[in-house]
This record gives sequence, structure tokens and C-alpha cells, in this order.
Amino acid sequence: MSLLLLASSLIAQTGRTGGGFWFPEPGSSVATEVDFVFNVITQICIFFFVLIVALMVIFCFKYRRKEHVADTGGATHNTILELTWTGIPIILVILIFFLGLQGYVRIITPPENSYEIEAMARQWSWTFTYPNGAQDFDSVLHVPVGVPVKINLRSDDVLHALFIPAFRVKMDAVPGKNTFIWFQAIQEGEYPLYCAEYCGTEHSQMVGKVIAYNAVEFEEVIEELNTWIDKVPDEKLHMAGRLLYNLCSACHTTDGKALIGPSFLETHNKFKDGGTRKLADGSSVKVDEQYLLKSILSPGDQIAASDSDKAYPRSMPPGLGRQLGDRKVLALIEFIKRLPELKDSDGKLISVKRSEIVEEAAEPQ
Amino acid sequence: MTTSDTSNPIPSQDPPQVDNYLTHSTGIMSWLGTLDHKRIGVMYLCSILTAFFFGGLFAMLVRAELMFPGKLFENPDTYNVMFTMHGVIMVFLVIIPSVPAALGNFVLPIMLGAKDVAFPRLNLFSYYLWVTGAVLAVSSVFFGGVDTGWTIYVPYSSSGSNMDGILPVTFAIFVLGFSSIFTGINFIVTIHRLRPPGMTWFRMPLFLWAIYATGILQVMATPVIGITVLLLAMERMFHIGIFDPAYGGDPVLFQHFFWFYSHPAVYIMILPAMGIISELISVHSHKHIFGYKFIAFSSVAIAIFSFIVWGHHMFVSSQSPLMNVIFSAITFSVAIPSAIKVFNWIATLYKGSISLNTPMLYALAFIVLFTISGLTGLHLGALATDIHLHDTYFVVAHFHYTMMGGSIIAMIGGLHHWWPKMTGKMYSEFWGRIAFTMVFIGFNLTFFTQFMLGSKGMPRRYQDYSGENWSLAQTELFAQYHWWSSIGAFLTGFGFILVAIYLLHSLFKGKRAPANPWGGRSLEWQCASPPPHDNFSKPPTVGDCYDYSVLEWDESEQGYRWRADVKHPGEE
Ligand code: HEC
Ligand SMILES: [Cu+2]
Ligand SMILES: [Cu+2]
Repeated sequence: MSLLLLASSLIAQTGRTGGGFWFPEPGSSVATEVDFVFNVITQICIFFFVLIVALMVIFCFKYRRKEHVADTGGATHNTILELTWTGIPIILVILIFFLGLQGYVRIITPPENSYEIEAMARQWSWTFTYPNGAQDFDSVLHVPVGVPVKINLRSDDVLHALFIPAFRVKMDAVPGKNTFIWFQAIQEGEYPLYCAEYCGTEHSQMVGKVIAYNAVEFEEVIEELNTWIDKVPDEKLHMAGRLLYNLCSACHTTDGKALIGPSFLETHNKFKDGGTRKLADGSSVKVDEQYLLKSILSPGDQIAASDSDKAYPRSMPPGLGRQLGDRKVLALIEFIKRLPELKDSDGKLISVKRSEIVEEAAEPQ
Repeated sequence: MTTSDTSNPIPSQDPPQVDNYLTHSTGIMSWLGTLDHKRIGVMYLCSILTAFFFGGLFAMLVRAELMFPGKLFENPDTYNVMFTMHGVIMVFLVIIPSVPAALGNFVLPIMLGAKDVAFPRLNLFSYYLWVTGAVLAVSSVFFGGVDTGWTIYVPYSSSGSNMDGILPVTFAIFVLGFSSIFTGINFIVTIHRLRPPGMTWFRMPLFLWAIYATGILQVMATPVIGITVLLLAMERMFHIGIFDPAYGGDPVLFQHFFWFYSHPAVYIMILPAMGIISELISVHSHKHIFGYKFIAFSSVAIAIFSFIVWGHHMFVSSQSPLMNVIFSAITFSVAIPSAIKVFNWIATLYKGSISLNTPMLYALAFIVLFTISGLTGLHLGALATDIHLHDTYFVVAHFHYTMMGGSIIAMIGGLHHWWPKMTGKMYSEFWGRIAFTMVFIGFNLTFFTQFMLGSKGMPRRYQDYSGENWSLAQTELFAQYHWWSSIGAFLTGFGFILVAIYLLHSLFKGKRAPANPWGGRSLEWQCASPPPHDNFSKPPTVGDCYDYSVLEWDESEQGYRWRADVKHPGEE
């Protein structure tokens, strides 16, 4: 009884917020297919559930014990009957398997011409990088409507999973591996985006949204994403660097520990003290702005080595700096130069939001 | 006439003088050092129910946090520790050992007409391993807690989390694993060696088939989790690279190892529960179990299949698509034996004489809840839908229907069924039914809502569903379901407290139990309630343990007795 009440109240509620009884409004081309598979399975479930419970209830009423009979006789088995209820489920589950398989093949097969976006998962936010180098660090994913979009997933620390319920897609981001999801948004709008794999303290805040635009608007947004740095005043440039540092953190730490590349703390200290950096070819070079600029823009030209003469690998991506543009590179240099200002009392990097450092008023009209 | 001393219950006039296993010896040491399977079973039962209380308490705290959007516990880590402890306690300390180690220990040797299990000392050792594991698990709280979830996925557990309770928990899982393995070995050997004359394999009560299949799973699957947690501990302590990519390991390998155990573990938890249900349905409808062989073989089939489906937990883990397809296909094979069991139970009810007393209500509830859990398993086994549903509340609801609606409900049903046998006392049938109703309604309210919560997209293991990144519409939508879910959880909690109250009350004030209150035919109903220290003075001879025609109602005893005009099996 209370279940019925609950169900009816829930149906009423969901009616208000949109979407069906089970799902959020479908937002991608595969969503309707997934919903179809779900609904077929659910129909089968309801049929069997009603059958089983109805028989059970009927038997319980009809054969209720009225007096103390010890035994009622009756059949102990019936092989034909038992083979029947073995056989029918077998046929049904084979059907369900193939339905699920069919949908899955679509979910994992991105079209050739997909628009590719790089996603990096970190405790506890998502960074999305677009082909033009534009980036969003605030777990907001911008996509064009009607275009297949492939998101390449990577993780910087622990397991995460990118989950967009309206698109019915999900995939783990696994450190050390490359995974992807793809979808094609069918309608402009905003859709929630979650981290679905438990990743620690702020797991429940590792959420964001997908915004789907028409093609024209999308280009504008991506362009603006690329130019926001111009609206950051010079005195806040190091804070912009803090945002951009997320691009480098897979290889450079800020706590002195060398990962793939030298720690920025070491770089910072050398810079502050006017120290030198040993290079792989045996020479050494003064760590000044010039050197930092060169390291970022053309990393292949001078390969750094540790103070104990161990050369670092030639693995810093050469395109990275050039793709960022001058001002962002400047911001990163400011970040290295003013590193201690960006740490809290525990020595952890503070977090910065883009909205806090961009100044709209800087454009006088 | 050889077995009348065991089959004719002691008349009600002079019960207190009779020696039984509870009065056989006295003093705390006679319990702590006992080799009597019945006493070990009772100790397990008390310990496991205590653990169940704490696991339940954590569940209530989790539901309290989620009842409204916003934070009840200021620090998210507090919540993360609570849901982890809930999972660890319920899985490793409660459900895995509950039916085999607690009820199985008590009932199995008596069902076999044996004096004890094959290795009584190993049995006691298993119990103390359980205690050690429990102490280790609880001690993790004092080491700073664990916040990894019960699945302890790498790399969060190896290098991501800075809580130091992880090591004690891995050791707890290791030790508890051995407790489980020893119980499994013990029961396998007992069933092989100590069956009484006349009890062929196909005359064993189905509960024994279930325990036997479970034993095989325990012995074969549990070592894998033991090795896995040891490797994890070494990785955390010495940074050797096995699973953690930071040290050159593979995190997906960990998931394979983990689920290679933890999927069979699901059946370690549910198979014995199914065994209980086979007994309860037949006994309380006084009807021969329908399709004995299909049920027996389906237990074995489930045990075998359960070893090759673990990958269905990893459809979005970056395991290759081909593997996903194979695992999805094999997963559906487990649906068949489960379906067979349900249909056979329903067929057993047909033309029975059904008594809707408390144990039977739990058994019927099991059928309903297990059906829901099995059917929603189809949504999760199918690839296209699992991609969306994985790691959402849909999965949470699904496995609570299996683990709680299945295992725990069957365990509580079995507890009521064998309570008169264990304690010699009858509990209040009235309060039994009231509490059952609370638990049944509360449970469905809690978890049915979670199916919708999950398909709507709410991920699991979230402390909060509001905050600066959350859209208001999402928060409001999820809040509706969470509120109902929490109300249901609290109702269930009160229901269980009520169960505890009337059961404890019956110990002191309950009516004396007859030897055979329900009219059961298996051997435990042929010895006194509570059983004497040695169970049977002579090994009884057995017939068909589901043939109730040999019994009749005895008004003076308020129980069933062997019909005077029917000979015992093996008698001339
Ligand atoms: C894939 C790994 C990788 C990424 C990502 C990366 N770097 Fe590097 N970086 C290296 C390696 C390896 C070296 C040392 C070899 C060399 O000098 O090229 C290095 C060296 C440097 C140096 C010289 C440091 C010194 O102390 O000599 C600077 C400055 C630098 N990187 C900046 C950046 C910035 C800024 C970013 C982010 C936009 C970045 N790197 C991203 C791998 C990386
Ligand atoms: Cu997460
Ligand atoms: Cu499984």
C-alpha cells in the first residue's frame, strides 16, 4: 500500500522535473536506443515478477493451513514442467544479451570524423582541452549539437569515471591508460556531468555540466575560452598560471619531488637564487626568464639533467607551449617565479577559479 | 525399535532436569573453549549479530547524511569512512559467515545425525580467526579510519588515500578469509564423511547441498582475495609495483583479482540463503519440495558459473570490449539456475498446507525480493544498459536486494525457524509478524526508490547531492528519492530492533518449545529442543527428509510427532 503511494507520488514528482519514470530526458543519439533496451528488459521483468508474485499470493490464500495436517501429498517433481521453465528463460536471456550487445557496439564505436576533446581527471575536477588549445578547468564541457564528439579520457591520480546520464555514457579514467567515450548531442542545453568512480574526499563535488550549443555558438565559446587570458590583469597572471599548471602536473610537481620532469619547486629555487641548470650535453645554463621561456616553447633544444647529472627524458610535449600562446606561457613563468605565494600554510597549492581573476571591466567602451 | 529415544520428544512435564547442550557444562570457559558445534554456532551467532548491529548503525548514519541535501557531517571523510565501514562489516563480518558459520554450524551436524563436525578444533579456530578479523577491522578506526569503500580499489587504496586504517583492514580481510576457508573445508569433509546410514547424496536436505556448494566456493575463491590484499598491503608499505601505475603496476589487474573472489563471494552469501529457503518453504507448507534434483544441481551450477562471470563488474573499467561481450554472455547463464529455484519454490507451495508464520513470511519475502534482485540483474548484465547504470544507485539497490533482501532476510527467517531448536523457547508470533511487516515495507521503501535514483543518474558513494557545481533541478530531483529512502531505512532499523527485543524476551519468558514445532522432517526436528550435548545417542537412520506423511499433530506437546502406526526408516 505504502509502496503504491510512493510510486504514485514519485510519478507525480518526475512528471514535474521532466524525463520519464526511469530516465533523464534523452540528450544523445544513443540514449533512445539504451532506453529501448532498458524498457524491453523491464517489460520482461514485470511479466515474470507479476507471474511469480501472483502465483505465490494465490497459493498462500488458497492453500492456507486450516488444521494441523502433517502432509498434503502432491507431486514431488515434473520433469517436463521443469524443463519448460528452464528453457523459456534461456531463450529470453539470449535475446536480452543480443539487445545489450547491439547497443553496446554503438556506444563504443565513434564515427571516423568525430570532434575530439581531451579530458583530464584530477582530484576533484575535470579539465577539458579543445583542438584549438582552449581549455576549461572547471569541469564544464562544451560540445556542438549534431556532431559526433569523442572525449579522450586520462587520469592524473586515481580512478575516476566520466558519466553523463542524459547521454547514457560512462567510462573510467584510469591512470596510465587512455580511454574514451563518444556521443552526439541531439539538443541544445545543459546536462549534468558526474565522476562516477569513487575518488576520495570531494568525490561528490567532482561534478560539472555539459553545455551543448549550435555550431556557430560553439565556435564562439571555444574562441572565448582561448582568449580569456587576455582579460587577466598582469598582477594576477601568476594565478592564471595556477590554473594552467593543471596541464603540467602530470610531469612536474610543486613539492620538490621529481616526476617525469624536474619539480617546479626546484626550478623556482634555482631561479630565485640565480642558480644554474645542468643540461644533458654536459653544459650548464643560468635559470632565468629566458631559459624558462625556451624550456616551455622549444623543450627539445636543451634537455635538462638533474644535479647528479642524470638526464631527464626528452618527453616534454614540444607542441604544448606554442599551442598555449604567449600570454599563457607568461602566466606559467609567473607561476614558477611566484610559486610560494600560491601555496597555503600546509604547503598545498591553493585553488583558483577563472571567474575570480578575469576582469570584464578592463575593456573600456 | 532402535531410534525411539531420539524421535519421541521428551514429555513436557519434566523438562528442566534434562541435560541439554546449554546445561551440559557451566562457566564461561566451558563456552570459550568448547568444541561443541552447537555452542560454537551460538557464539558465532551472538558475535555476528553484534557486528550486524554496528554495520546497521553505520547504515543509519549514511542514510541520515543522505536524507537531505547538504552536509550533516562537516568533513566528507567522515562520511567516506562510514560507508566504507558499513560495507566492510556487512560483507566480511556479517553476511559471508552468517548462514554457514552461525546457523550452519548449529544445524548441519544435527541434520546429518552426527555428533559434531569433522574437525571440531578447526571449527573453534575458525571462530577465533573471525574474532581476530573483527578486532582488526574495528581497530582500523583507531588507526585513522579507512575511506576506500569495501572494494579497496587501487590506486586510491595504495597511494591515493592518506588514512592509515587501510592496512588493518587488509589484514582483517586476510584473516577473515582463512576463517571462511576453514569453515568451508570443515563442512565439505563433514558432509562427505559423516552422513548417517540411509542418507545418500540425493537424500540430503537441500540446505546441506547449498552449504556444500558454498564450501567449495569458499575453499577455491577465498585464497585469491587473501593474496590480493597481501599484495596491496606490500604495495602500500614498500611501494612495489603490482597494481599502482605510479610504481609501474596495473590498476585493472587489481579489479580482476578482487572480483575473481568477490563475485563468487556473492554466491557464498546467497547460496546458503537459498538452502534455508528450500527448507522453510517445504516445512511450513508441509509439502514435499518440488524438483529436488533441479534445486540441488542448480546450487552446483551456480557455484560453477559464478567463477567465470567476474568481469561483469568491469564493463567500464577499460577492460577490452571483447572481454566485456564474453563476460556479459556468461553472466546470463547464472540467471537460469536462479530462475529454476524460484519456480520450484513456487511449485512447492502448490496444494500445500501453508502456514504464514514468521519464518515462512521471511521465506516468502525472500522469494519476492530475490526475484527483484535477479530480474534487475538482467539490466546490469546487458551491456548497453550497464554502461549507464554502472556505479549508480541502481547497482546499490540491486545488490542490497540480493545481499539484504536475499541473504539477511533468509538468515533472519532461518533464525526464527531454528530459534526454538537452539534455545528451547518459542518467541511471540504476534510481534514476529509485526516486525516482519516493518522490515519488509521499510526495506522496499529504502531500496526500490534507489533503482529510480540510479537510473536517473545519481552516482554511488556521494556524500552530498548539492553544492556549487550542482544544478538546483538535480538536487531537488534526487532529494525526493533520498528522503523516502532514508525513511524506509529507519523503519527497517526499528523493525530489526523489535526483532531483537522479542527474541531476547523469549529467552526469559518464552513458552517452552516442543521438539518439532513446525512439523519438519529433517533430523534436527527429531532430537529434543534444545538438543542434548551429543545430539543423538545412536546415529539415526534416515528416509526421505521431505516426506511429511509420517508426522502427526500432538496437541499436548503443541508440536508434531512421529505417527505411532508408521515405522522409522531402517526398522523391521
Ligand atoms: C609529458 C611530461 C611533461 C609535461 C606534460 C610537461 N613537461 Fe616540462 N619537462 C618535462 C621533462 C621531461 C623536462 C626535462 C627535460 C627537458 O628539459 O626537456 C621538462 C622540463 C621543463 C622545464 C625546465 C625545468 C628546469 O628546471 O630545468 C620547464 C620550465 C618546463 N618543463 C615547463 C613545463 C610547463 C610550463 C608545462 C605545462 C604547460 C610542462 N613543462 C609540461 C616533461 C613535461
Ligand atoms: Cu570521483
Ligand atoms: Cu558479480
